[in-house]
Amino acid sequence: MPERYGPYGGAFVPETLVPALAELERVWKEARRDPAFRRELSRLSTTLGGRPTPLYFASRLTRRAGGAEIWLKREDLVHGGAHKFNNALGQGLLAQRMGKPRLIAETGAGQHGVATAMIGAALGLRTEVYMGEVDIDRQKPNVDRMRLLGARVIPVKSGTRTLKDAINAALRDWIANVRTTHYLIGSAVGPHPFPSIVTDFQSVIGRELRRQAVRAFGRLPDLAVACVGGGSNALGTFHPLRKTSVELLGVEAGGPAGSTGAGSLSYGRPGILHGALSYVLQDADGQVSETESISAGLDYPGVGPEHAWFRDSGRVRYTAVHDQDALRAFHWLAVDEGILPALESSHALFAAVTEARRRPKEQHIVVTLSGRGDKDLGVVLGATR
Amino acid sequence: MRLDKALRTARAEGRTIAVPYLMVERRRASRLKATVLALREAGATALELGFPFSDPIADGPVLEAAANRALRGGTTWADLLEAARVTSEVLPTAVMTYANPVLRHGLEAAARTLGGAGISGLIVPDLSLEESAPWRRAARAGGLSLVLLAAPGGSDERVARLARSSRGFLYLVAYYGTTGHAAEGNRVDLAPLVNAAHRAAPSLPVLVGFGIRDRASAARALSTGADGVVVGTALEEMIQRDPRPASIERWFRRIAGTPRP
Repeated sequence: MPERYGPYGGAFVPETLVPALAELERVWKEARRDPAFRRELSRLSTTLGGRPTPLYFASRLTRRAGGAEIWLKREDLVHGGAHKFNNALGQGLLAQRMGKPRLIAETGAGQHGVATAMIGAALGLRTEVYMGEVDIDRQKPNVDRMRLLGARVIPVKSGTRTLKDAINAALRDWIANVRTTHYLIGSAVGPHPFPSIVTDFQSVIGRELRRQAVRAFGRLPDLAVACVGGGSNALGTFHPLRKTSVELLGVEAGGPAGSTGAGSLSYGRPGILHGALSYVLQDADGQVSETESISAGLDYPGVGPEHAWFRDSGRVRYTAVHDQDALRAFHWLAVDEGILPALESSHALFAAVTEARRRPKEQHIVVTLSGRGDKDLGVVLGATR
Repeated sequence: MRLDKALRTARAEGRTIAVPYLMVERRRASRLKATVLALREAGATALELGFPFSDPIADGPVLEAAANRALRGGTTWADLLEAARVTSEVLPTAVMTYANPVLRHGLEAAARTLGGAGISGLIVPDLSLEESAPWRRAARAGGLSLVLLAAPGGSDERVARLARSSRGFLYLVAYYGTTGHAAEGNRVDLAPLVNAAHRAAPSLPVLVGFGIRDRASAARALSTGADGVVVGTALEEMIQRDPRPASIERWFRRIAGTPRP
């Protein structure tokens, strides 16, 4: 696994964390080769997580778009309601293997916090989740779920009080407690080896998708679409497809119309945030910008380093979708297919519908529906009113 | 005088090296010179000038709040350069900031500009040894000593490598945690790390930082064989309590005057 993606990635961290990152990399590499570990990961993915998730033909949404076929990779059906489970399970097992009794995590939308709380409970690891106060307000159901699952939710009151500062708080905790604690980072961000580990555990999405597409319509899709905050569901989708001819489209949060939202790849420039060199929304002095998005899970000024390289190399195209368009896609999927998508995934859906309109009926588009939207009802109803 | 020379001289003379840390803040610019003069009077060997960053992951609540306040008050890189020109007339000055502001200004350009403003050292708490090669080159070209940090949990071998690569001094982090305060149980015996550094780089001073707040904590740090201390959070708290130069001088003299055992 590379420490660098092109020039991006690396480990820009306080020295205190260096031994822990080295241990994590070593244990992870051993675990990947260990049949017993892989069996356990596969067993729990299936029996606890509900994998594999289906590939669903969205026929009425396809008719609405009036072009290429739209298929959904149903990560919203994974245990806990989002793809976050895939990574939380894998890293939870690594923590166990390292003998670390405590998990910490950051969360934005709350989905990663819920996944970590579930895995903490299932593996018997004490779990504490950092969450920005702004996000606690807008994602209340997930806060309750984490608490019911036995995790402690620690409100983050500093800085932007959203995902970025939740990661800062989790890193500070890890620096102090690194001997007993595993930082179960929720996206393909952070210092090496985290981006590689998270992508590895999320790649089950793309591997299943390849198999299922061939079974469902006889070949790989023409286009795969996924939303990008930190970018783990997108990398899980794209990574196994990167050496195929499938077109790849990453969709960032464009925020309110006329703003740069949280579009680090669309509007940012290379910088170092949370231990890695990648694209960062920042000012002329390198101060990281405040972001704005209707979706807490995409509301992040950085992005995983592999996305930065995919952007520069041209392998993946990136676009940004504004809040109002994501909301429209949310309602489309609800009334056309009977599925409430997460607001994060709704960004990808809108871009997929836009693409489908321009393409002939013979083409196939797969959208990774990264999570379900129950957590977003408050925001959606508030915005509709 | 330059950072490395000042520290080596102090060490050779058996004096305790005392390095206060001041965050650059636009609204404090008018009293910066008086503050630094007071620190010199009190026995400071050199100065760390902190440039605030929006995401200071190695800092505890006091310095994080100070950075946020400085940034809200409009503090920019230009303020840093202006402060550098003032303080480097009084004390050898190193800049401490996170990797991204330096990278944003370009490693070579930043090092050159800082050097031109009188800065003679650079400390980047989120720069690991593994990532440091281009930074060391840029610092050298700009005439800056790139100071590396060592921390608890590192093997003797790793501390030795850090000491050999560090310039100016080796910054030894005193405990597992962020600046300002060690939680119960997070202190470690630093003496073996200080020893490893001194063996690997006999002429490089080793300074202990994080959590040095008074004479007792300074004495504890010096008892490990370290050559001096860095004082950040406690000075920020002192300035908030009583910013008068005479008060700062009286307070810092107690720490800087802590004898080496």
